Parts: sequence; C-alpha cells; structure tokens
Amino acid sequence: MSASIEKGISVLKEVIDAPIASYFSSCVHCGLCAEACLFYTESGDPKYTPIHKLEPLRRVYKQEYTLLGRFAKILGLSKPVTDEELEEWKPLVYDSCTLCGRCSLVCPVGNDIVYMVRRLREGMAISGHAPEGLAGASQRAVEIGSPMGVKLPAVKAQMKHVQADTGIEIPLDVVGAEYMVLMSSMEIINFPEYLAAIARIMKQAGKTWTLCSEAFEATNSGIQIGVSDIARVLVQRIVDGAEKLKVKTVISPECGHAYTALRWEGPNLIGRPYSFEVLHILEVLDGFRNAGLLKTSGFEEAKLTFHDPCQLVRRGGVLEEPRRLLNLVAKDYVETGDPGKMNWCCGGGGGVSAIEEAEELRLTAFKVKKVQLEATGAKTLVTACANCRIVLEEGLEHYKMDIPVVGLTETIAAHLTAKE
Amino acid sequence: MNISNDSEFKAALSFLSGTNRRRVAAHFSENVLSLSKDARIKGAIDAAKRADITPAELAAAYQTARAASVESYTRCGRECNWNDQASHFVAEAGVACVQPDKPGANPAWDAAMQARMARTCETIATGRGTDNAEAAAQYRILAEFLNS
Repeated sequence: MSASIEKGISVLKEVIDAPIASYFSSCVHCGLCAEACLFYTESGDPKYTPIHKLEPLRRVYKQEYTLLGRFAKILGLSKPVTDEELEEWKPLVYDSCTLCGRCSLVCPVGNDIVYMVRRLREGMAISGHAPEGLAGASQRAVEIGSPMGVKLPAVKAQMKHVQADTGIEIPLDVVGAEYMVLMSSMEIINFPEYLAAIARIMKQAGKTWTLCSEAFEATNSGIQIGVSDIARVLVQRIVDGAEKLKVKTVISPECGHAYTALRWEGPNLIGRPYSFEVLHILEVLDGFRNAGLLKTSGFEEAKLTFHDPCQLVRRGGVLEEPRRLLNLVAKDYVETGDPGKMNWCCGGGGGVSAIEEAEELRLTAFKVKKVQLEATGAKTLVTACANCRIVLEEGLEHYKMDIPVVGLTETIAAHLTAKE
Repeated sequence: MNISNDSEFKAALSFLSGTNRRRVAAHFSENVLSLSKDARIKGAIDAAKRADITPAELAAAYQTARAASVESYTRCGRECNWNDQASHFVAEAGVACVQPDKPGANPAWDAAMQARMARTCETIATGRGTDNAEAAAQYRILAEFLNS
C-alpha cells in the first residue's frame, strides 16, 4: 500500500462521523437518488446513482465501524480499498457530481448524500485522486489568490475599464465602507458588466462600498476539490480583508458555491463567528428593493425565465429574492419545470466545469435543461451564477438553441431609473 | 473634429445613425482583430461594415459571432491564458457589431469597450502591465470616420 493511499484511507476513516455512519446504516436502497441525478437520468447508466458513487467510503465505513465488517476484515473476507479503485471512482466522485444536492433533497430517510460526496473527496484528494484541473485551480487559489490565476493588476485593469464605461469611480481598500464586494474570477475575466452593475446600483442606493486588494476573490476551490485546509485558508483571507477594512457586510457575487462556502461553512472552517455579515448580492438587492433604494423603470421585452443556481437556491436558501427582483423588470416571466429548490443543475457545478475530461458527459447531462427551456418558450435566460451562465451558454450553443443568457444583477442595473 | 476623452467620444457616438454605429463598431473591432485567429469574427465585422446588409444576414452573422464568443470563454476554474482571453473579447466586440437592435443599446460603444478589454488582456499577456493606447486609437478612428 502506497503512502498516499494510506493517507487517503486514514482520512476516509476520520471523515466518517456520526451523520455519515447513520446515513449508511439507514440507506434503504430505494434508488430515488438515482432519479434525482441528472447524470443518471440523462445517461441511463446506473453507475451514476448517487449512493453508488460513495461505494469506497461505504466499504471503509463497513470494515472499520461495523461489527460484522470488522470480523470480515480480520478474517480476510473483505477486500481493502485500493489506489486502483479510487482512481476508477474518480469520474464518479468528481466528473459526474456537481454537488447540486438534489439527491439529498429527495432521500426519504434524509441522507445528505452531497455531504458524503464532499467527505469522500477529502480522501480522494489526499490520496492523489483528484482531477488535475481541480488540483491546479486549488493550487492557484492558494498561491496566487485566484483559481484562474487572476492577479490584482488584472482587477485594477477591470476597475479602470468599468470606470471608463460607467463614469463611476470604483473604490478600493476603503476602510469603514458599509459593503465589501467580492467577485469571482469568472466575473473579473469574462463579465466586467457585473462590476459595472454593482457600481451603478450602489450609486443609486447611496451606499458606501469597496473592493479589497487582499481579498477580491470569492470562490473557494478547497470546497470543490474537498480539502478543508485549503477551504479554510481561502475563507480566512476574506475574513482578514473584511476585518482590516472594518466593513459591516461582505457581498458574495453571482457565484453559487462561493456563497455557501463563505456564508454557511466559513465560520465552522475558521472556528469562530464573523465580525461582519455575509449576504449574496441578490439578498442585498432585494433588501434595497424592500427599502425603496432600488428604483427601476421599464420592462424586458423578451419572455424571461430563471435558472436557479443549485448552491444559491437549494443549498443556500436564496429562493424568493431572485423572483421578487425579476418581478421588477419582467412582464412576461415563466418558470421552468421543477423551479426553485427542485431545479435541475446546469451540469457544471461542484468543480465539474474545471475538469476537461468531463465535458462530453456534462453536455449529455445538459439535455434535461434543454428540454425544460424548450418547454418554457423563453427568449432570454436569466441566472445568478457566472459558472452556470457559461455552462448554460455552452449547452445552448451545443444544442443550437438561440437563447441569450444574462446575469440578474446586470439585468436589474440595466433598468435603473435615469436619475442614477 | 477632435476627440480627446470618453465624454466627447460617447457624445459623438450618440449622434450616429444605427447603420453608422455598426460601421464604426466594425472599425473599432478591426483595430484589435489581429488578437484573434477566428475567421468567424472577421466575417461579422465585414457584415457590420455593409450599409446594405439585410436583417437575415445580420442575424446569421450574429449567430456565428455568438458561437465564436461562447467557444472562447475561459471556463470556471481553468487557468486564464490572457492571449486567449484577448481573442474572446475580440469575439465579443464582433458580437457587438452585429447584435440585434435593442432600445438604449449602442453597438459602437459596446464594441469599443470590448476592444479595450481585448487590448488590456493582450498587454497583461505580454507582461507590459495593463496600460495601453486603445482608447486613444478609438478616438482617432471615430474622428477620421466623422471627418470622412
């Protein structure tokens, strides 16, 4: 047994806590999780059944923490988990799981399968079985500050660009600002319109805000690859930046997992509560709307629908805010099938879009979204996650569907009253 | 006519007709076209230059340019290659040239912004920082267009 597999098995033993033990012992093998997984429903291959993806972890649980399993291990009647098996399982644990959480939601005995996949990824990563793409992203996130290799000069270039575009100064490192705005690398690289929208909205709302030169990146590849130590470092960086600038609220951008990582998991990762509040940008905008600080005029002409980002809606609980905001600017709005917490994933979450070898499967899984979107007859698709946005655009392009995809924040900003 | 800042630039663009906005957008995009190897973008730019283009031709050019733009995104979590990203923004500029008419939209301004992003990406890729003279080049291009 190699050192890396020993470490991996050791980690798997460690991550099996009381919830995981109870999940494995209470699974009734009903198969409902399969019907909830887009990789299973769209491929028809039973190997993509969510609970099956956890087989290496289940075996470790059985061999180490059940009486019969331990006897069987002592008597040599059960085979240990090997390097080869973990490598074989890599596409199941990473390529075909977006951590979307639909399986957890439908499980009749309440097993949080996503939690289990995340824990299995810990062992996979430690034993050297994480996909190269995710490993590289995590390394860049720690060393450079961005999973996509974005450095501060690139952020400053975008600030300058947005200033030219909007005529509004973009604040950086302002101590005592009310809001600290985070971005995802995707927004820095691909979608400058997000920062432009923030600038316009904050100006209209009359709020003080700032970017932070030491913590501009919101994403957390430690969560995706399954290494808590990396996740902790990345959360701590944001906490340090926010506390240095003494801001009241940190705004998580249009990125799904960044929100759950920072808001719901961050305090546990760093072992203490924050001294500031964390809100998703849609929560902030909805708060502005409620306070009468978001004044819009006119409506979108096209029929709109909304793609619920899994981490934001199902896992994050931001369900009604996007709909209330859309109601400000959409006259002709239609829901997709299974809207809100039962939405179908775009297929690129949980790090899947960073894994090149997963592309073909991802496009196969997109068929569920394709059918749903066709049924709506929508002419524009709105979402609130930069990763979803690109994955959706790619899927729509692949299936020759002419539906533009836009971010909700920029859609709202486009309708701000002229006074702004 | 002399243009020396973005206020004058934006004001001058706002007075252009729809057709001329597309034509100027094409010139802005052409100025950064060397940063892209995608022939589809040149097709969109050439289409935008034509005063006699039909709505159907424009729609087809838009579809093609959109495909080039979507294909050239840097995917989430992948390391950014700034030269490739420059090419992506050239594609976005091409999309702007042939985008469908929409109230409040100005394809010339949109193309100018995307072209500046493309040039910025190129300067990051070459390690020359982020400063460049694309805005000044656009002022000159617009002034020449208006004076012609």
